[in-house]
Amino acid sequence: MAEQQKVSSSESLRSTRTFGKVRCHNPSCMGRLSPSPGSKEISCPTCGMTYRLFWVTPELPRIRGPVWDVNRKLAQDTLAKKTGAPDGDSQ
Amino acid sequence: MEKFLTVDADKCTGCRLCEQVCSVMHEGVSNPAKSRIQVVKWEQEGVYIPVICKQCEDAPCMNVCPVRAISRDPDFGFLKVDQEVCIGCRSCVGICPFGAMGYNPTTRQVFKCDLCGGDPQCVRFCEVNAVEFVPVDRVSAQKKRRGAARQSAAERQATALG
Amino acid sequence: MALDRKIAYINLSTREVEIKPIPLEMRKKFIGGRGMDAYLLYNHAPEGCDPLGPENPLIVSGGLLTATCASATARTHVMAKSPLTGLLGSCNMGGFFAPELAWAGFHHLVITGKADKPVYLWIHNGDIEIRDAEYLWGKNSTDTQWAIRNELDDQEVKSMVIGQAGENLVTYACVMTGIKNAGGRTGMGCVMGSKNLKAVAVRGTMDVKIAHPKDALEHNKKFIDQITSAKVNQIQGALGTPFIWGATNCWGGVRTRNFQYNQMEYADEIEPEAIDDIATETMGPHHMTGCFGCQVHCRAQYKIQSGLYAGKYDEGPEYTSLGAFGAEPDCKSAETVLTGNHLVNQYGVDNLEIGSMIAWAMELYELGILTQKETEGIDLRFGNDEALLQMVHNICTRTGWLGNVLADGGIPAAEKIGKNSFDYLIQVKGMNNLHSDERATPGLALNIATASRGSDHLRSRPAIDLYHLPEPVLRKIYGSPVPYDGPLSSEHTEYIGKPWQVFWQENVYMAVDCLGICKYHTVFLGATLPNFEDWPEVIYYNTGLEFTPKEIWDAAERCNNLERLFNLREGLTRNDPKKGDTLNHRYFDEPCRRGAPDVIGKKIDRDKFNVMIDEFYDHHGWDKEGVPTSETLQRLGLENEPTRLL
Ligand code: SF4
Ligand code: SF4
Ligand code: SF4
Repeated sequence: MAEQQKVSSSESLRSTRTFGKVRCHNPSCMGRLSPSPGSKEISCPTCGMTYRLFWVTPELPRIRGPVWDVNRKLAQDTLAKKTGAPDGDSQ
Repeated sequence: MEKFLTVDADKCTGCRLCEQVCSVMHEGVSNPAKSRIQVVKWEQEGVYIPVICKQCEDAPCMNVCPVRAISRDPDFGFLKVDQEVCIGCRSCVGICPFGAMGYNPTTRQVFKCDLCGGDPQCVRFCEVNAVEFVPVDRVSAQKKRRGAARQSAAERQATALG
Repeated sequence: MALDRKIAYINLSTREVEIKPIPLEMRKKFIGGRGMDAYLLYNHAPEGCDPLGPENPLIVSGGLLTATCASATARTHVMAKSPLTGLLGSCNMGGFFAPELAWAGFHHLVITGKADKPVYLWIHNGDIEIRDAEYLWGKNSTDTQWAIRNELDDQEVKSMVIGQAGENLVTYACVMTGIKNAGGRTGMGCVMGSKNLKAVAVRGTMDVKIAHPKDALEHNKKFIDQITSAKVNQIQGALGTPFIWGATNCWGGVRTRNFQYNQMEYADEIEPEAIDDIATETMGPHHMTGCFGCQVHCRAQYKIQSGLYAGKYDEGPEYTSLGAFGAEPDCKSAETVLTGNHLVNQYGVDNLEIGSMIAWAMELYELGILTQKETEGIDLRFGNDEALLQMVHNICTRTGWLGNVLADGGIPAAEKIGKNSFDYLIQVKGMNNLHSDERATPGLALNIATASRGSDHLRSRPAIDLYHLPEPVLRKIYGSPVPYDGPLSSEHTEYIGKPWQVFWQENVYMAVDCLGICKYHTVFLGATLPNFEDWPEVIYYNTGLEFTPKEIWDAAERCNNLERLFNLREGLTRNDPKKGDTLNHRYFDEPCRRGAPDVIGKKIDRDKFNVMIDEFYDHHGWDKEGVPTSETLQRLGLENEPTRLL
């Protein structure tokens, strides 16, 4: 058993890791976005969702949160389109 | 150049992995009570301090040993216990000012850090680098730098407030 | 080399203690930890027993790998019949308790009976003593631990304790160890309280043998590298579990205002980075801490900066505290989150459950189902931080009519409050859901509906479903160690293939719980983290036991079926809204109104959901009612349970 040196499937997936990128949070979009190092915001070219960024390390960005005004407007427009009514009671 | 183990308690996460790997390395069992490095904790405040042998120059443990079981390794400079000679009197355990000398109730002998013969496992496993193995001259240079950085930060703050 | 591990049976009524070795055949079948606990529960809890009665066994354990030279094997598992759900009670916590128990000579404890006055157990290098705890009664969880250390004059003693919530029999009271490690779910602290058991204190300096020390050491290095190199764990090590909350809230998967919304807007003040700033300010740049032997170090240390509790040290907060004291009650203040987190740690109560209960009460208050009369003057509207924290005190100390009612848990409370209050309770099997919203993610919805301990994400959530992984990658993960050639979809808003993913995750989580490993070290948040194929070596080097990946899978499936058998015996039926594999009607009726454009309008389709459940049962070899068929029981060697071998 000690001799078997085969690579397990989870280990083999390590090569698929992409550093320096984040993914758009819109489910059908999920596009890979490549922010320029150190940048504070990024917009998805496909769906327009815009995010604030946080750099865990200089190579590892993560989406900190939405740029609220932009994404909230996108959400409300979509809601109006889908239900025919604006989100009136949103505080 | 002789190398030393240095501890930066600020970085320590308190995980005690170093204790685990140390006991496995030296005793072949998992048992922190037999680890050469031990993490002392003040959990109430979240303070964790790894305690380890300083390989003292004028070493009390070596001086107190009645049968001269403790001697300095000519290559790496660490102090080691000769298990053939040790009579288990625990004089060294009592005298070490850092509590770095341990007693193994199974073998009834004392044990201490031997730098794993030159590749300290605590250093190898500690990903946050709370324990490091660095040349003697670098230790004091690093300490100076850190001290100076703290001072200048304090000065900057003072100026800003002033 | 034989694995010389022990189990202790402790009867608090008769004060009898019996110590037995754990036979190796049992390891092969149930591995250890949660799996072995499930066996013990099924065998030792009398059918239909009162969860707060002396006959309900409280089972405490470490996993097969606990305290060995494997990474992050710190988890303690606790099981009993749940006073919250009347079904399976099961919780898991990190820290340093289980390894210390192992060095003290034990891997499993079965505690029955009831002490006539408060006691604690003192377990020390093979000895077990029942000691007086009257002076500890009334103390919070940390004071209790420090007092025990002082009494025993040993600062290395690790204790699993209850705070006041457990003493007061709040049905979702936790067991706690250290500052913030909580076995939170299903009210195991309440069971401890019912036994008059304030604490289990352990200290051990005995060896845990390692079968092949050199190999175990080298392999551990490789394993740790695989774990710490994953991006999720690097983020986790910087921001802790709040990072998940932040990401989830970003697209609209965080339950807000009970279930009115799926996102908390403008949550900047409590997002993970903001909390991290406070931790950095109060504790310095290196403020992360972790469990025994773990290099992920996912917990933050912090001091509360302002308010009534300014200056208090604590650890966390986790995802659940951001939910409980942030999104759910719609409070946007970091001070409230950090204070709430501190209070639940001190009282020893499940933050997830208490947050959900209060948010539920807030919605009932705004609907007029609860009024100032029931709240005794508390203005229990959403966004009222003060009322929120007041309710935490009231529930944990059972103060006032409402505090007392909410302390009984969701379903009994709904019965007492009446009207249609039950319709607003976001529960499964009587336990509230994590503060996440699964309306856009059918796979995650299936997970909470079918989880063995009631609504829960840590039993079978296919969290990597959210990463939109390409199908070949999904096949690689979900197609082993048992071949699967059915459908799989990268779309997390889809229904296809999800039942298999949930089934697979259920087995993977059971396996880690049996081994005693933390879930951040397996396929939970990261696809590249270890699973079945990676464990045989770790197990072999450390214990000398040989398992194939398929054997681990089989054992996990066996243990999951035991939990199912227990639940069925205690009254689970498929469609029972209070004890079944069901969801609150709002999942099906109310569409999401916030978040990413593709999430908006999403809700769970009833018919498709039912088809998922059918398929899920089918993968298990269960019939349409969710009962294991006799062939399944035979295949898993469970046809003769209970067998009372331990
Ligand atoms: S391995 Fe490093 S971080 Fe962990 S306890 Fe030891 S010194 Fe501290
Ligand atoms: S054991 Fe103690 S006295 Fe001896 S060299 Fe180490 S630190 Fe000095
Ligand atoms: S990842 Fe976090 S919870 Fe898990 S063992 Fe490490 S520190 Fe503990």
